[in-house]
Amino acid sequence: MATSTVGANGEKPPPFERIVAEHGPLISRIAMSYEADPGLREDLTQQIFLAVWQALPSYRADASLKTFIARIAQNRAISFVAKQVRLPPTAEMPEIIEDDRPSPEQNAIEADERSILLEATRRLPLPQREVIILVLEGFDYSEIADMLEIAPNALALRLSRAKAALKAMLERGG
Amino acid sequence: MIDDIDLDRLGDVWRQQPDPAEMARLRKTAAIVSRRARWGQLFDVVAAVAVAAVVIYLALSNPSRGTLGVSAILILILLWTQQRQRRLRAIEIKKLTGTSEEMLDQSLEQAEAVLKRTRSQLLFSPPAFVFGLALAALADRESADRLWEHISSIGSGQPIAVIALAWLPAFILYSLMKIRSQRRQVERLAALRDAYRAERDANIEDLPQADV
Repeated sequence: MATSTVGANGEKPPPFERIVAEHGPLISRIAMSYEADPGLREDLTQQIFLAVWQALPSYRADASLKTFIARIAQNRAISFVAKQVRLPPTAEMPEIIEDDRPSPEQNAIEADERSILLEATRRLPLPQREVIILVLEGFDYSEIADMLEIAPNALALRLSRAKAALKAMLERGG
Repeated sequence: MIDDIDLDRLGDVWRQQPDPAEMARLRKTAAIVSRRARWGQLFDVVAAVAVAAVVIYLALSNPSRGTLGVSAILILILLWTQQRQRRLRAIEIKKLTGTSEEMLDQSLEQAEAVLKRTRSQLLFSPPAFVFGLALAALADRESADRLWEHISSIGSGQPIAVIALAWLPAFILYSLMKIRSQRRQVERLAALRDAYRAERDANIEDLPQADV
């Protein structure tokens, strides 16, 4: 499971620029999994950065900084989606995601796989999407249960339902 | 048919690092946002200090009982506004750092409060407008006659009268549109909150057979 390099031991949060360097990709992935439209996604990303900037002084290091940021990003994204008048899009442009690994074929396969995964995740109901994103982001189950303030068995139940829904989406090809 | 999904493997696919161009774009967006936020914060402080300085200057340059009273009221309003902004920011941060269900509960509460306020405004503003005109007419019959002359001459070069009369229907239309969109917002938030509650209250029987 991925862990944050800062947080949990009571130290102060690092400067905003470093947070962006360390946790920017997490914020970007969360924005991507809630909003397919590139223009609206940029708007959502800005809102998440602003929310993190505003909430940073209240960070008390009782959880890792990564947990703190993921929680803010998810809440802002859910609130953003809830305010949209339109329904979530059903036909979306596929994401083209590049990476710097050596094999272009491998890149293409993984980018395609990620694109399908992203699209499938976007179609999940919000409560299930939230839990799947946290698992995919590498949080362990106790961190997720703390974040959602639910008992471990309730989390297991929600995760099972979310996995079943994701599986169904992936079988449909996203 | 997928046998079972391997979330660890999917997690590796999911967490691929963005390419350098995407990372540069993210950094740029974050820099713009933090710069705007810092300027906004600075502007709030400078504006509050400037208003307080002007009020104090006016009070000291003409230290009558009336000026001092008005200045004290203005300073109190300024302090109250600052305090209110701080409280709203604290509520917003609590909303952001709590659970999604708590966030939705608070958003729903706020949306319902806005809906209630807009309905009250729509209900009370037009009678208040008419009442104000009637009160003016009772207080000064002459000026009421003049007002009526102004109203009668709408269309013959009385822009203030046109604006005054256009305000009421425009306000009613705006309020009705706001009520409609706010009601939809409340419905969306309530549906979402119910979905979270249903998920929380789900039983083991609701699980697909393969997962039990």
